[in-house]
Formats: sequence, C-alpha cells, structure tokens
Amino acid sequence: MTTARRCLNCVTPPYILKKLLESGEEDIRQAALNTLVSTAQLRGGRAVRASFAGAAAAPVNGRRTIFDCHNSTSLQLAALVRSESDPPVADASANRAFDGLGATRDFYKKVFDRNSIDNRGMRLQGYVHFGTRYNNAFWDGQEMVFGDGDGRIFTDFTGSLDVMAHELAHGVTEHTAGLEYHNQSGALNESLSDVFGAMVKQWTLHQTAAEADWLIGAEVFTPGIKADALRSMKAPGTAFDNELFGKDPQPAHMSHYVRLPDTEQGDFGGVHINSGIPNRAFYLTAVGIGGYAWDAPGHIWYESLKASSAQTQFQEFADTTYLKAGQLHGAGSAEQQAVLAAWSEVGIRVSGAPGGAEALWERVPAGRGDGLVHDGTTIPALKRQIEALSAQVNALAEGVSVLTPKP
Amino acid sequence: MKVTLATHGGQAAAINLRLPPRVVDAEALPEQAARELAELVEAAKTAPAAKERRPGQARDAMSYTITVEDVGWSAVLNQSDTTMSPAFAALLTWLQRRLAME
Repeated sequence: MTTARRCLNCVTPPYILKKLLESGEEDIRQAALNTLVSTAQLRGGRAVRASFAGAAAAPVNGRRTIFDCHNSTSLQLAALVRSESDPPVADASANRAFDGLGATRDFYKKVFDRNSIDNRGMRLQGYVHFGTRYNNAFWDGQEMVFGDGDGRIFTDFTGSLDVMAHELAHGVTEHTAGLEYHNQSGALNESLSDVFGAMVKQWTLHQTAAEADWLIGAEVFTPGIKADALRSMKAPGTAFDNELFGKDPQPAHMSHYVRLPDTEQGDFGGVHINSGIPNRAFYLTAVGIGGYAWDAPGHIWYESLKASSAQTQFQEFADTTYLKAGQLHGAGSAEQQAVLAAWSEVGIRVSGAPGGAEALWERVPAGRGDGLVHDGTTIPALKRQIEALSAQVNALAEGVSVLTPKP
Repeated sequence: MKVTLATHGGQAAAINLRLPPRVVDAEALPEQAARELAELVEAAKTAPAAKERRPGQARDAMSYTITVEDVGWSAVLNQSDTTMSPAFAALLTWLQRRLAME
C-alpha cells in the first residue's frame, strides 16, 4: 500500500488523480487523495487541495481526514495523520477529533437525513495541535481547527464533543441560513451551534432533555479552574464564576441583552454573550416537550434554521419556530405551546400566537394551513410590512397636517 | 520596549472579554531574549496580514492585538487566526511562551 502511494506521488498527473477520486474502490480513492494532499503540502499551496475539494466532496459522504499542525499556525504545513479507512493512531487528539467528526456526521444523517455539512457529502477535515498553547477551536469556513490549550486554564479542545459539534454546526448554518456573524443574527448563529452541539452530545450519550447537563465545553478547563463549562444553556450566566476571569456574562432574558461594539474586540456585538437567550429558549422547549431534544425540538429548530436568512433576528426566529412547530405537530399542539412558553420565558413574545393582536393575522391566509400567504411570505413578515406602511402613512398625515393652513 | 498582547473572540470569547491584556517588558528580559523580541517585532511590523482564504466565513476564530511601545514610537498590530502572517505568528508564539513562564 505504501509503495502504491509512493508510486502515485511520483508519476500520476493531477487530472488522473481527480478521476481516481471518483473510483468505486475505497483504496484507490484514498491513495489518490493522499497524493493530492501530499502534493499540495509539497507545493505549500492549500489552493491545490481546495481545487479538488469539489471533486472529492460529491461521492465521499462526509469522509474524515485529520491533520497534525505540529503546533504551527499554518494549516499549509499540517501533515495527514488519519483518514476514513485508517485504524486509530498513536495521537489521542487525532483520534478524538476523528471520532467527534464521525459522531456529528452520523447524527446529522440519522436524525435529519442530512448528508454531512453541506448535505452533499462534504469531506470533514480536522486539524489538531494548532499553534502554541492555543486556547480555542474554530471553523475556518471549510475545516475544523483544534488547539491543545495552555495547560493552565484550558486543556485539549478535542476533549469536548459538543465543542466539536458546535464548530461543524457553523458549517451547517453557513450552508443553510448563512446567518451574518454579528449582533442578533450572529448570536443566533452561535446559539444554533450550541443547540446542535448539545444535541450531538445528548444523542451520543442517549440522554433525555431532563437527564442532560446542557453545558457546552464542560471538558475544556484544566482541573484547577473553578468553572463548569464555557456556557450553560439551562442557566446562562452560571457556567463559571471565579477570581481569574470573573462571572459568566451570558444573559438568560431579553431584558439583560448585552450591547457590545460590533468589532472583534466587542465579540461582534456579543455573539458569544447574547446567544444565552435563544440557548435557554431551546432548553426550555426541550424540557417542556420532554423526551429527547433531537426529536421534536431538534426538528423544529432545524426546519427553522433552514427557513431563516442571513439577517434573521431573535424575534423572527422565534416566530419561525412557532410556525414550524405548528406545521410539524399541529396548530395548538403541546409542542407548539412549549415553543411559545419557552420564548415567552426569555422575554420574546411570539408574533402570530393566539391571545394577542397577532391572532387576527392567523386568519389572513384563508384556506392555507402552512402559515404562508404567497411566495414564501410569512404572516409575521407581512404584519411587519403593514406596520411599516402604517408608520409611513402616519408620517405623511403629520406632514400634510403641518402644511395645511390653519383656519 | 513594552509589548502588550490582547486576545479577542474564540469559543472562550466571554472569558477573553474579561481577561486583561498581558505585558512583556523588554527591559526586564535577559539581553538575548530582549534582542529576539526586538527582531520579532521588527519583522511583524512590516509583514502584511495574509489574505483570508474564505473572507468572512471563519467562526470562533480568535484575533490578537499586539501593541508595541518604545521611546519615540509605538505600533499596533492586529491579526487573526485565519489571516496572520508568519512573522506575526512567530511574535505571537514567542510572547505566549514567554508569558507562560511568568
């Protein structure tokens, strides 16, 4: 096998390797990929790898590849350490990353019938040992990157399955709603990553919503650090409280929404801070419905994610979850009521819910039970358009009043 | 020369918001270490950030602000996990190693 790979390295031109990626035989596909990756590394060019990503993605069904950065911050210099068909390797971080990517991929396939991140079988690539004492894991738009932690506050980020699934969920969001990464849409983007991260962990452990700890990143701190996790979805604002870095600043209610500058220094308007609000809404929905979070609650949130857009704000997302709960489980169902109560408890009043002025609008699309008026326009969106028009009419009326000569 | 490192964003953004910037004072360093730092700063100052491969698509990546203050001049260098130049990465790594020793 080693000989065959060396041979491919030596003589096989790229266009043939590209064809080999489509081979029905796994060994051939793997050898071709290894060669392409090696070639890319030798040339120091990530562009080469990226240029074949499309060809590799179609038939691979989320095949995994793990690279070792050897503490460099350059992904270009990373070395391939484990691929889909390889047995475990000596590096525990590489194996954990491999297993975490696999669990996440399987979760999406089995629970949502989604074929990897892009629903087209996108290859899953993980990079371990990034940087020196790197206290983080991130998604670069195509790959996952993990740090080892500084050993003082943080430990190896591959130790947390929900953190891993959180990062991959950013990819899912990018391929669906594409939520802009600042202010409310950014906080929603972060929240959805926590929601799917938590579900992957619970699904793997086969935990009900009531049994789960609803903590994100419970494993990333060193034993000496007094912190439960990075975030608590059940009780935002309580994940940590210590002398070193203070108290968890996440709000659990809209009345405590934190306004920060839309800059890197301000966490793009507090995307990792205000995510606490929709996080708790999902937790409350899940325990309100009962059973497994990935069943009814997960499907309501997943359908809402797919129905959202780049600028979706908390209010619109809450409205969409209510609408989707009605579509999936029936108007007035226990599931829909749980969604309504959950958002209410975090300070967001769902538009279109019975009991308010919005009840009127539910009757607008006569004969349609899907909550759509026409061409995908939702009732809340229509309501907002009419409110905006009303405001303009009022402003015009005031203008006319000023211009009209007084008797 | 005084070099200050501030870290922003990342999975632990809420924690990074609360951690104060960390400072390395070259005058308190052994001569060899101070010379290394000066060379790394000089290289990082002139190295432009790399072009982001997927602009705007990175999520949870961290960014770093390195502020250099010396007699008669100062500089602020700001780069991220997905854009840092090799020279900036070398300075960052050096600072992180030095700060870990404190």
